[in-house]
Amino acid sequence: MSVSAIRRLILIGLLIAIGIALSIANPSFLTVDNLMTLLQEASLTGIVAIGFTLILITAGIDMSIGAVIAITSMICINFISYTQLPAYIYIPIALAMGCAIGWVNGFFITHFKLPEFIVTLATRGILAGLALIAAVKDSQGFVKNVFIQDEVFLAFGETVGPVYIVTIVFFVLAFCTQFFLKRTRAGTNVYATGANPTAARLSGINTDRTLIGVYMFSGFCAALTSIFLSARMMTAMPEFGIGSEMDVIASVIIGGTPFTGGVGDIWGTVIGTLFLALIKNGILKLGLSPYIQPIVIGGIIVVVVVLDVWYKDFAEKRAARSARQKQMQSKEGV
Amino acid sequence: MTKAKWMATFIALLVMATGAVQAQTAYKIGYLPSTVGQALTQAWRSGIEKTVKAQPNVTLQALDAQMKAEIQVTMMDDFINQGYNVIILQPIDAAALTASVKKAEGKGIHVITLNTDTILPHAACVTMDDTGAGYLVGETIGKSLNGKGNVAILQSPPGAQAGVEREKGFRAALGKLYPNIKIVGAQNAAWNKDKAIEIMNSFLQVNKELDAVFAVNDNMAEGAMIAAESAGRLGQIKIWGFNGQKSTLALIEQGKITGTAYTNAYSQGATAAKYALDLLSGAKKKGAKTEVIVVPPFAATKDTVAQIKAEDRW
Repeated sequence: MSVSAIRRLILIGLLIAIGIALSIANPSFLTVDNLMTLLQEASLTGIVAIGFTLILITAGIDMSIGAVIAITSMICINFISYTQLPAYIYIPIALAMGCAIGWVNGFFITHFKLPEFIVTLATRGILAGLALIAAVKDSQGFVKNVFIQDEVFLAFGETVGPVYIVTIVFFVLAFCTQFFLKRTRAGTNVYATGANPTAARLSGINTDRTLIGVYMFSGFCAALTSIFLSARMMTAMPEFGIGSEMDVIASVIIGGTPFTGGVGDIWGTVIGTLFLALIKNGILKLGLSPYIQPIVIGGIIVVVVVLDVWYKDFAEKRAARSARQKQMQSKEGV
Repeated sequence: MTKAKWMATFIALLVMATGAVQAQTAYKIGYLPSTVGQALTQAWRSGIEKTVKAQPNVTLQALDAQMKAEIQVTMMDDFINQGYNVIILQPIDAAALTASVKKAEGKGIHVITLNTDTILPHAACVTMDDTGAGYLVGETIGKSLNGKGNVAILQSPPGAQAGVEREKGFRAALGKLYPNIKIVGAQNAAWNKDKAIEIMNSFLQVNKELDAVFAVNDNMAEGAMIAAESAGRLGQIKIWGFNGQKSTLALIEQGKITGTAYTNAYSQGATAAKYALDLLSGAKKKGAKTEVIVVPPFAATKDTVAQIKAEDRW
């Protein structure tokens, strides 16, 4: 079995172990309602994390995802408050807006050769401001959060059987993206662009187009999340999603996609998101003081990452040793 | 015959035992403020704790929503899934928490809101009168300025309902009673002391004549005071806060802050907890509409601050 497969198994094992510990500590953890809420939470972060994984594979970063959630939810709420248009018209518009923002990010990064962090941080600020401007106001000019009553729109927050729609969308999207990354040429281009952009360009890959595409996909994922988030909360707020970047980044990193680019896949991200959601959900069941909770969450993440890195080191050393031994043996044989 | 007697005794014992068990049913109360890191929400919590402590079969769990509506909704779901009996909630936003409150009430969980009422009906709302108290501050400032002068406002983040209500009340009082008072600036200082210092500094630089500042919470009033003091203009500017936390009351006594709209947060928390216990024991029944309990504000100034007893300061 390959090292990465074993690393993944370790992570899944830890996931299950923590799950068992939690269900012993508090029986209400292992109820259908709770597990479905957990999956819903995981999916809301996870959809954004899927887009973000592609960005990290190209060795980039996208700080604007939270602000994209804010602005697209504001677009929807404006349509809902001021027009009678049905949801199946304005939701595609909102999703297209997410892609457009991604295109702008990608355009500035590729054509002006600017650092990804600066470009997306700037768009984050601009979009957060625009979200406040676009927010629905009352007669005195104060931001008013509208209570959504559009049935079609609210259907996005509903369940199929016990499973939330967002969870289904998350897993379908994860499957498709994984397929795209591993089984299509465009997917391979994403890895090549991240591993060594110069080599990729010299071998005929249009890296600029790949990068722009990846940022557009990230924007799309964020916009998609905003719709599920608004439907769940039955409102949209101009500060939606802002600050959620950290959870997304943490999920992807726990899932084994490093900042350095060229490596990573979606299943890792799915496990990472589930992991973070599990800890955040479980911590609420332990009856701890709210001051202690963030410390415990941070501690668990550190332990998991340390275990993961330790195993990777261990496996690499072992591989090197066995390679050396083989070499010696073959020399002796001669 | 003897067998029947034994049976009867046994059944009687069983009935008594279940009765006793029923009297000892464990209840869980969840407390979910917007953040746990503020004097106000801590004071509510100790008010709730004090009331609940007398009931051995009631446990209390607090969670921290970190000022984010998304997190608060998640935590509401968690209380619901864990089968809590009552949730005492300070909604970060009325619209954003309405769906959660509806879900909880639908599962037979009583929700008591603090300070911000949600849109659909629930058990009760124990609230400071934000608009009314804002009006009271506006009236008092207007009177002390003799109806003319320049006033600035340190706002809460856009969309934070409690702050917006206070500001609306304040503006209404000035607009109606003292139309000659000019509002020269209004900026969001995010409930926060450092941010308030920064914004107050810019107010001071831009406005050579500034007569009063209304900060929609006490933290920001303290920030405004620090900025005015270091600019050497504290004497000319009246600073008003809102909430009445202990540190601000002390500053009012020292004459550095002019006043604040004080609410007894301990008793507000205790009122909410008492209501929760009454709902659990059946002494109170849930009505079709939200029962709104208003805790009246009190204008604490240098002259009146002594009326607030030490044990009521939080």
